[in-house]
Amino acid sequence: MQLETAILVGVLFACGTYLILQRSFVQILFGFVILSNAANLLVLSMAGLPDGKTPPIVGEPAAPMVDPLPQALILTAIVIGFGVIAYLVLLLYRLFLDQRTTNAAELYAETEADSHE
Amino acid sequence: MNWAATPLLIPLLTALLLLLGRPGVGRRYVAACSALLQLGVALYLLSRTYAGETLVLPVGRWAAPFGIVLVMDTLSAVMVCLASLIALASLLYGFAESPVHLEHPLRLPLMQFLLLGINLSFCTGDLFNLFVGFEIMLIASYALLTLEADDWDIKQAYPYVAINLVGSALFLCAAGLAYGLFGTLNFADIALRSATMGADPRVQTLAMLLLVVFGIKAGLFPLYYWLPNSYPTLPYPLAALYAGMLTKVGVYVLARVFGTVLPHDLHFAHQGLAVLAGFTMVIAVLGALSRQFIRGILSFHILSQIGFMVLAIGFFTPLAFAAAIFYIIHHIIVKASLFLIGGVAAELNGSDNLARGGHLWRHAPWLGVLFLAQALSLAGLPPLSGFWGKYVILVVGFEQGRYLLVLAALVASLLTLMSMLKIWNATFWGGNAHTPLRLESPRWRPMTCVIAALTLLSLGIGLGAEGVMQIALQAAAQVLDQQGYAAAVFSAMGKGTLP
Repeated sequence: MQLETAILVGVLFACGTYLILQRSFVQILFGFVILSNAANLLVLSMAGLPDGKTPPIVGEPAAPMVDPLPQALILTAIVIGFGVIAYLVLLLYRLFLDQRTTNAAELYAETEADSHE
Repeated sequence: MNWAATPLLIPLLTALLLLLGRPGVGRRYVAACSALLQLGVALYLLSRTYAGETLVLPVGRWAAPFGIVLVMDTLSAVMVCLASLIALASLLYGFAESPVHLEHPLRLPLMQFLLLGINLSFCTGDLFNLFVGFEIMLIASYALLTLEADDWDIKQAYPYVAINLVGSALFLCAAGLAYGLFGTLNFADIALRSATMGADPRVQTLAMLLLVVFGIKAGLFPLYYWLPNSYPTLPYPLAALYAGMLTKVGVYVLARVFGTVLPHDLHFAHQGLAVLAGFTMVIAVLGALSRQFIRGILSFHILSQIGFMVLAIGFFTPLAFAAAIFYIIHHIIVKASLFLIGGVAAELNGSDNLARGGHLWRHAPWLGVLFLAQALSLAGLPPLSGFWGKYVILVVGFEQGRYLLVLAALVASLLTLMSMLKIWNATFWGGNAHTPLRLESPRWRPMTCVIAALTLLSLGIGLGAEGVMQIALQAAAQVLDQQGYAAAVFSAMGKGTLP
């Protein structure tokens, strides 16, 4: 299981990075979604296999138990990720409304920082 | 009563209170009083931690390695103190700058959330809460950045958001990998468990990953391109707050993670920090010389000075850490007041473009004096506050025989002076003002008062450098004392058994 998860995380990171580097806003957005999910999956996989680990409970566990901490961590990370993605959607929509384009390359074609008053 | 949580509770409650209220003068009083209260609490915390106490709050009374802890040592207290000071200055300046009815209703609550995130980053005792603190800070900063933005500003905000999103994802990965490696996220626990793993390649990799993550937040050399275009789009009081605090959170965390958490024999990472800092200093100051408007020049200067602080952290001796902390104290105050001076200059000239201003010296000589004091302090002239931090950093550099880095620091200082002279010449001394100065504007005098207070404070730091250096030395000693930190955290009251 460990190896498959590692490969999956790697593939997700590759896809996310590839999409972020595209020009279309929608592709960029999906890139960030995939990237944040890849990071969450990586944290989850850090729980590892439960073999030989003792769960933080009083008494003897009835069955093998998963490490609860990474799950708590990704719960927080997912919520934060939602918030950030929601913000990003609005930001990109506002960019589209202002600039009438969803092409990032077009958007930054003639940017000159000094031209702003 | 345990005081370690007060820097979090005050901004949180204030933010909720401000969200309930309608925009108006009353909200401004609440925000200002809250910032004042926070400053008072921070000074009290500083006095307690300076006496040698480390305040530890196990949240929910769960003992340290399992529960969340908030830890307040001298460096945290210093940083919280500076955050509330700059927040107060930026609030008061904002009140003077814009009338009540023009203020965006969300600006004050978001500033409180920003402070909450900053303070949580300073107080937290574990890696994941550091991530949470960063995220609160970043989301509030995204929102403030785009709150009052026009269509040009929005274009500059997107790279800021995008790069910090990538940084957040990497930070989450780093936290996950740290958990996989050490089986804990608590700073003190990691410090104890990693003490003997120094040369382990996994620890080295983790250190490099953390360097990249916090390098993005601090604005180190290859990772800083989001900053100099996005900060100039902010309104001046917010730009001062961002310039003062946000990148310094990155520097604080670099000091904390490399000093307290990770083992001390990661020479490769320390070397990397120093070299990147050298590049940052020189390249960013060249960027400053290339800019033609005040906020642009000042934004590049932030990066150049970040280089100085990180250089000191890279030298990795207690004295160098103390110099970095001294430099942070100096820089936050000076940089924020320079942005505010830029705001007054732009108010008087109608623009912060260097080609459009001029002759401020004739009409507002006091503003010129304040600018000169802060600009020379930034460049590091001897009696002023910027000198002492730089001096100690250079002395440590000489002792370690890093002559190239010392040379880079000297060149960067000289170029800083040159770019400051550029502002001075174009805005204060000479210039070709086409439009008459707006001296009849009633707002610029109270705005200048805030700047004068900050300038007096920075002069005080320069003249009373010995006292401030004592605080910095103590903070540095505490940051580098892993055993003491762990002992303080683990001896905090809580249920459960202590390891």
